[in-house]
Amino acid sequence: MSEVTMPRLSDTMEEGTIARWLKHAGDEIKKGDILAEIETDKATMDLEAYEAGTLEQILVQEGETVPIGQAVAIIGSGTSGVGARFIAPATPASAPPAPTNGQQQGQPPSAPTVARTEVAPAVPAHAESAQPERVSTPAKSPETAESSDGRGVKASPLARRMAEEHSIDLRQLQGTGPGGRIVRDDIQDYLEQRTPTQVSAAPEPAAPPQEAPAPVAQVSAPTETEVSPLSRMQSIIARRLTESKQTIPHFYVSSEVDMTDLLAMRQTFNASAGDDGVKVTVNDLIIKASALALEKFPEVNSSFKDGQFVRYKHIHVGMAVDIPSGLVVPVIHDANIKGVRSIAHESKALIEKARNNKLTMADLEGGTFSLSNLGMMDVTEFIAVINPPQSAILAVSSTRKRFVPVDSQPVVRDLMSMTMSADHRILYGATVARFLQEVKRLLQNPYSLLG
Amino acid sequence: MAEITYRQALHDTLREELLRDENVFLLGEEIGIFEGSYKITAGLLKEFGPKRVVDTPICENSFVGMATGAAMLGLRPIVEIMTINFIVLAMDEIVNHAAKIYYMFGGQCPIPLVIRTPGGGGQQLAATHSQNLEVWFAHVPGLKVVAPSTPADAKGMLRTAVRDNNPVIFLENLALYNTKGEVPDGDYTVPFGQAKVAKEGADLTVISYSRMSTMALDVARRLEQANKLSIEVVDLRSLRPLDHETIINSVKKTNRAIVFEEDWRSFGVGAEIAATLQEEAFDFLDAPIKRVASVEVPLPYSKPLERAALTGAKQLMEAIDEIKPRRRR
Repeated sequence: MSEVTMPRLSDTMEEGTIARWLKHAGDEIKKGDILAEIETDKATMDLEAYEAGTLEQILVQEGETVPIGQAVAIIGSGTSGVGARFIAPATPASAPPAPTNGQQQGQPPSAPTVARTEVAPAVPAHAESAQPERVSTPAKSPETAESSDGRGVKASPLARRMAEEHSIDLRQLQGTGPGGRIVRDDIQDYLEQRTPTQVSAAPEPAAPPQEAPAPVAQVSAPTETEVSPLSRMQSIIARRLTESKQTIPHFYVSSEVDMTDLLAMRQTFNASAGDDGVKVTVNDLIIKASALALEKFPEVNSSFKDGQFVRYKHIHVGMAVDIPSGLVVPVIHDANIKGVRSIAHESKALIEKARNNKLTMADLEGGTFSLSNLGMMDVTEFIAVINPPQSAILAVSSTRKRFVPVDSQPVVRDLMSMTMSADHRILYGATVARFLQEVKRLLQNPYSLLG
Repeated sequence: MAEITYRQALHDTLREELLRDENVFLLGEEIGIFEGSYKITAGLLKEFGPKRVVDTPICENSFVGMATGAAMLGLRPIVEIMTINFIVLAMDEIVNHAAKIYYMFGGQCPIPLVIRTPGGGGQQLAATHSQNLEVWFAHVPGLKVVAPSTPADAKGMLRTAVRDNNPVIFLENLALYNTKGEVPDGDYTVPFGQAKVAKEGADLTVISYSRMSTMALDVARRLEQANKLSIEVVDLRSLRPLDHETIINSVKKTNRAIVFEEDWRSFGVGAEIAATLQEEAFDFLDAPIKRVASVEVPLPYSKPLERAALTGAKQLMEAIDEIKPRRRR
């Protein structure tokens, strides 16, 4: 019998949400089977079984969020004959869940406790009938409260009180006080690591308002509103963009680009791609142009971090992709050294993956600059919010036919407006203007993008 | 507002009280012709005459007893004990008489007696002349014990003491007499039983009184400039009655406390405060309450040894370093 725990799927991951269980309690599991889909702050990923057996218990329900390392399911030999009836309730209750079967009432005196973070070794079959009353009940139940109050754990009175208020199991924490004592700082670190939407580490449904008992909060007035909790992705977007706009002093520089030649070149280019070939989009060309401009102005390819100016050696351009559940920014790595066809190929694949929620950590990590293109939506002009920790984002609007004076004569040209948002802590107007001029020069001399 | 010394504040207040109320008179060794060992009573004999400023023989038990009797009969004596070390001779008069008479005799006569006396070491006056014995009195119901640290508080609290109908031990400190501070104008008083947050802070609370509280304030300001540690300094000002509310609110905010006292560590003010905090703010404590006090030896005469035995800014900084939180607030 072994625990399946919430895996660490990326360096920044602190917790994950079970998006969907693909296996159910009682199912036979082969090594390598996909048990569930896990939503992290960046992507949805598969949870694989590392050993064979029977999926005896599901400890964390769909939609619930738990920290990495916490048990989400138990795979056993299947001899205990437990099945779907051991699925823990999705909603927390202050009392242990009502047994679905009379036989579970009897509790042998020596029954080992299986708490959320504690698995009894080799539970004898006869004892397992006692487990459902304990497994996965939230910390409020008397049994688990007793085992999770951190008795035996060294913690200050304040830390203990805070842990109780926030339903934190003190045993999950490493104390940094004298002699390993858990102190207020440790609790605060822990609380900050949890996302704002998550109320507690106990497997409760992620209800955004602290007091709301159900995912759909009570609404006072007016009555004609519908309130739903933010998805994990939405809450991360909300948090990170708020942080960006509140902490980064944004400033904006705009320019207009004559895209006539680029559109002509693209047409020629794609005409030769054949029916099966990948068509190069305007966006791919702008990615390439941005990457080449970043090469020339490395200060734009940077971050402001802890009072320091961090310049990145590689140029990884993220592109904002609109998906039904929110917004993702997959990354074209080393875009400056990739040909436009490779970029086209990759971006098409990434968009495809994004739409199917299949982006991996590798697809999402490492961006050093971002591009947001609303050109296909008939947008005259817009301004984007910087995607931290990057220092700049380029907002690209629609290309439209306009009269332009050429030799004092009106000529119809395809004009596109673009606006760069930049972090004024490390970037200044002239730098950004020069960068933008370079992007413009490249786009207006489109063959330079093919080099 | 004028900036004056602690000494001047005491002198001015005594003079003003002598002028204000003809029942007020001063009593003590060398306070008249010699104008006081620490010159607090300078010029007062000349101004008010020998009935209001009385030089006594070297006999603390006698003149504290006399003062207690005078208070019973309606006068308002202010006794100066040259240093707190000599008060030991008058313990019976203070503890068994002054503190008890109002209670034991059916409230017939209150004892409006003030005993002013400086404590503290560091002047190379050796073991019998360098003590801090205020906790002896703070232990006794029926007495009030106050220990202001600034000229402004000295003035306001001495006024309160003279006008209080109970025996008050008014603790001064040798090292405070020359310190300066702004003093408000007018006939203001500072109530007993109200500690003062001398400096607000978020990371840690240092609770202190008398000279140590000025030292704590100094350390707190320096640390705030040097490394942004935000220390709250609470000046108790009054040991009995003791202001629980202020220290508890401070620790509820900072969650960590150090009691900084010049006295020996055992059975002292630090012990009292630590016990109070754990009784009334247990769930807010994030670290053990630390006592920073002097080494428990009779204070040596030798300067290096005296310095080694007395607590000070260095010991306080070490303690702060030991219990400060990892994260700044």
